[in-house]
Amino acid sequence: MFNVDITGEFIAFFAFAAIMIGGAVLMISLEKVVHMVISMAAVFLGLGGMYVLLDAEFVAFVQVLIYAGAVSILMIFGIMMTKHSGESEPVRPLHEALVAVGALSLFGLFFYAIRTTDFPDAAAAAPAEDNTMAIGELLFSGYIVPFELLSVLLTVAFIGAIALAKKEAE
Amino acid sequence: MGAWLDEPLTWGDALAVFLWAVLFLLIVLGFVTYAIYYERKVIGWMQLRVGPNRVGPFGLLQTVADIFKLLIKEDTIPRKADRLLFVIAPALAFIPAFSVLAVIPYTEKLYFADLNVGLLYYVALSGITTLAIVLGGWASNNKYALLGGMRSAAQMISYEVPLVISVTGVILLSGSLNLRDIVAAQDGGWFWNWNLFPQIIGFVVFIIAAVSELNRTPFDLPEAESELVAGYHVEYSGFRFAFFMLAEYVYVYAIAALTTVLFLGGWHAPAPFLDVVPGILWFLLKFAFVVFSLFWIRASFPRVRVDQLMSLGWKVLLPVALLNVFLTALYLELFVK
Repeated sequence: MFNVDITGEFIAFFAFAAIMIGGAVLMISLEKVVHMVISMAAVFLGLGGMYVLLDAEFVAFVQVLIYAGAVSILMIFGIMMTKHSGESEPVRPLHEALVAVGALSLFGLFFYAIRTTDFPDAAAAAPAEDNTMAIGELLFSGYIVPFELLSVLLTVAFIGAIALAKKEAE
Repeated sequence: MGAWLDEPLTWGDALAVFLWAVLFLLIVLGFVTYAIYYERKVIGWMQLRVGPNRVGPFGLLQTVADIFKLLIKEDTIPRKADRLLFVIAPALAFIPAFSVLAVIPYTEKLYFADLNVGLLYYVALSGITTLAIVLGGWASNNKYALLGGMRSAAQMISYEVPLVISVTGVILLSGSLNLRDIVAAQDGGWFWNWNLFPQIIGFVVFIIAAVSELNRTPFDLPEAESELVAGYHVEYSGFRFAFFMLAEYVYVYAIAALTTVLFLGGWHAPAPFLDVVPGILWFLLKFAFVVFSLFWIRASFPRVRVDQLMSLGWKVLLPVALLNVFLTALYLELFVK
């Protein structure tokens, strides 16, 4: 089970995993909303690191740019304007025990499934030499229709936002 | 990614990586120290003053003395502040500033990380600093700090869009996001092969957006002394304040180096017969010129008004940057293919 070499990748994997899990746990357990957003930003950053380890640099840094940067700032903007102090919910022991049992059995299920699955050899999907170029070529040849549809969707959302803001101002 | 990821990590490798990072940090700190001195001198001369001239010969130790003062100052945290975030924010602002420097290539041989999405890495990480500034402003629990933080976030987000779109033209021309390939694509012997001339529109948009990203005059609204006391770092003092300032000047270094790499041909000489001068000197000359220009702009322009700021970003820079992308693509399609 522990027949692994201690490589840089191995250490980096555990560092990122620790950041992500720590961030996720803190996100749930912290009380102030701004603190929660920060822990979520840590999860996003850890996920970016994981993508780098998977040789998907483009996705990794887009993840950092969009989620850890833009989305977190957007959330903070929204939250700052609302309440400042934390608010504690009433403790419900039975409810929490049931949730713990459910979470643990879900973990057991996943763990069992992952351990028993026979993964095909990873070498079958060798990463491209320049995977940013590969993504670009795929996006603008094979997936051009979904790409264009998404652009239309974003434009509609953009115009909608402007229209709503205009109506509010008047 | 680097080959060391796949190899067993030896203590020797880890130590080598660590020592390189420390050495580079010291170089950057040296740059920041003398950039501040130089900025004060340049602005002094432009305003017919002398500038710092008391501490050390020609005032050379003035910044050292200032930093020493900041380090020995009492460390104050306001009682109503959010302690944890107040403490984290300065470090969170500085770490991305230092990390983005990893992808800058200085010469053909001298570079730290050969990342195939180098430019994207730069843009992505510099966004984290915005987060830190907003947090610092919010955690201080002070209305001026919060106002400064909000202004800063709004400004940095608005200007990041034209900044990224203005470099798209450069990416189109060189066909790569790798900063080393971008410099290599500008190699034609003469200075008109640099991206500066084919991408002059992109360059102008880039410089304006970059000055704004740096929160420097004429776009220094987040810390406008006369209207916001000091902006997002009004409650900070001592070494935490020093960290914010450090992050700001490290970004000056980063933007100057990035401008050199993207538009000024990196380590390439301006003419073929000047090739005898080593590439690192050309890089440093161009770099120093960009840094000087930033100080020059600061000494020459008044501050933009807050309501003009956003319309400049969204209504002028963004369409111009988009137009530049369109023109570049059209040129490539009609004349290159």
